[in-house]
Amino acid sequence: METWKEFEANELTHSAAHHLLAIYEVGLEYGGWARVSDIARELSITRGSVSINLRSLKKRGWVETDEHHMVKLSPKGQKAVQAVMAKKAVVMAFLSRVLNVPEAQAEIDSCKVEHLISQPTGEQLVHFMRFLVSEDPLAKEVLARFKNFHDRCPDSKTCDVCHGHCLIEELQHAGL
Amino acid sequence: MKPDRTEIVEDLNRLMAEELEAFLRYFQMRYRLRGVDRLAADKLFEEGTRETLEHAEAIAKQIRALGHIPRLKIELELRGGATNLQEALAEMLEVERQALDAYKEVLPRVTGDTMLEDFIRKQISVETEHVQEIATLLE
Repeated sequence: METWKEFEANELTHSAAHHLLAIYEVGLEYGGWARVSDIARELSITRGSVSINLRSLKKRGWVETDEHHMVKLSPKGQKAVQAVMAKKAVVMAFLSRVLNVPEAQAEIDSCKVEHLISQPTGEQLVHFMRFLVSEDPLAKEVLARFKNFHDRCPDSKTCDVCHGHCLIEELQHAGL
Repeated sequence: MKPDRTEIVEDLNRLMAEELEAFLRYFQMRYRLRGVDRLAADKLFEEGTRETLEHAEAIAKQIRALGHIPRLKIELELRGGATNLQEALAEMLEVERQALDAYKEVLPRVTGDTMLEDFIRKQISVETEHVQEIATLLE
């Protein structure tokens, strides 16, 4: 399958991930149980939307409901939430602590990819982060050098990263 | 001094969003329906669109009567493929139940305000009837 189509095929969609996270957050105060109205407020959407989306989450075995229409994460849902939160934490740490992206932007960007990156990529990121923040003198030097590295594009607009198209220029022109 | 109605207006805006979102859902559902029951179901969902729009309008009038302008925030993407009557009714029941619960939640906050209390009670009565009707169809 082409990679871009994997966004569509991803079992845990962005919306589903946020519903599960909202159930987790709301449920923290009520022994794991959440009301549809509280989930709707947490996500700033209507109760109708939450209710319809919960049907699909329930079918996939991520949530359970009781006779009073209270909702809680199933064991499978809890695992999904933990995985999403772990991926978000490591991506956010990487963006803010390694790439020096401002924290607010790192929060937004990590939220966008939290459910999309695979488990092996997430694990490798954790290993990489552990190396970078370790006491290894080489890691400390790499971080320090990157912090003080003032990148200048060569006049030829080619380098080992860009291969003929200046990626920095393209990103700046896009302005997204 | 007039009581602060901001929270009540917010409640009414949320109720209006529920109704208008239901309208959009029923509108799309009519064209997702397939199978032998489609014609009967089509009529049911057509009525659904009409009633939800009427409810939204009634709420907007209440907001205007309170001296405010209705505000609408809906985040909705309607997808989904062809569906049958059973599935469509189950979805409709969820939506109607949530609307009913939303009205019930607002009731204590408008108690004592004769006009609003009457309005919300009437809506609860209508929505309760809808829920019962749909639940009966699903039996």
